[in-house]
Amino acid sequence: MNNEIIRLERLFNAPIANVWTAITNKDEMKAWYFDLAEFKPEVGFTFQFTGGPSKEEQYLHLCEITEVIPQKKLTYSWRYDGYPGISFVSFELFAEGDKTLLRLTHTGIGSFPETATNAFAISNFKAGWDAIINISLKNYLEKV
Amino acid sequence: MRRDVFQAIADPTRRAIIGLVASQSMNLNAVAENFDISRPAISKHIKILTECGLLVIKQTGRERFCEVQLKQLNEVSQWVDQYKLFWNSKLDALETHLAKKSMSKNKRSRS
Repeated sequence: MNNEIIRLERLFNAPIANVWTAITNKDEMKAWYFDLAEFKPEVGFTFQFTGGPSKEEQYLHLCEITEVIPQKKLTYSWRYDGYPGISFVSFELFAEGDKTLLRLTHTGIGSFPETATNAFAISNFKAGWDAIINISLKNYLEKV
Repeated sequence: MRRDVFQAIADPTRRAIIGLVASQSMNLNAVAENFDISRPAISKHIKILTECGLLVIKQTGRERFCEVQLKQLNEVSQWVDQYKLFWNSKLDALETHLAKKSMSKNKRSRS
């Protein structure tokens, strides 16, 4: 019963330094992740962002960095304001020639109560992220 | 206190119990024999699992069998899928971002 652990791997056609910057620099994070007021890859640094299924239904995500190994590993806690439970997200980078393998691990989501998770229903999340990806990808392809 | 499936799987022993009885129903003694912790402790976990609706206890003659309720687990699977989808979307966006970045860098170095 390990299905509450999410582990995804993705090979990026970019050197490890570029991927590290993309996951730790707030200006780059804004382009693909979340628009944060500030981000510092330092243990103990806290940040927050809102995300949710619609404009009316937004959830405050609270995160605190717990592990930083430059160019190798970044881990932070991930929880929801007003809900019990805590999860951890880690990004691990591995050089594969001039490409980079990113392993994303999200553990502890089983600690969130059902009430909170209903708010993050698949269709809800999908609607928001589909728009972001399709629009940004489309813009990118049309520019090329 | 209301219990739900997420509380059930929050504990490693309870996850192991579910794993054990997932493929076949087992009597309570057989379940307990698989663990180093005390019989009362196992009983407590099983009680929580039944309260969460993940297990039902069926009496067959003198024996009591644990049977898993897979329908309840679907709830978990869907929920994990939500996060998987979310992260896959994010990694797609990261891929696009990195491609764009290397593209603009190449443009700069060419000009």
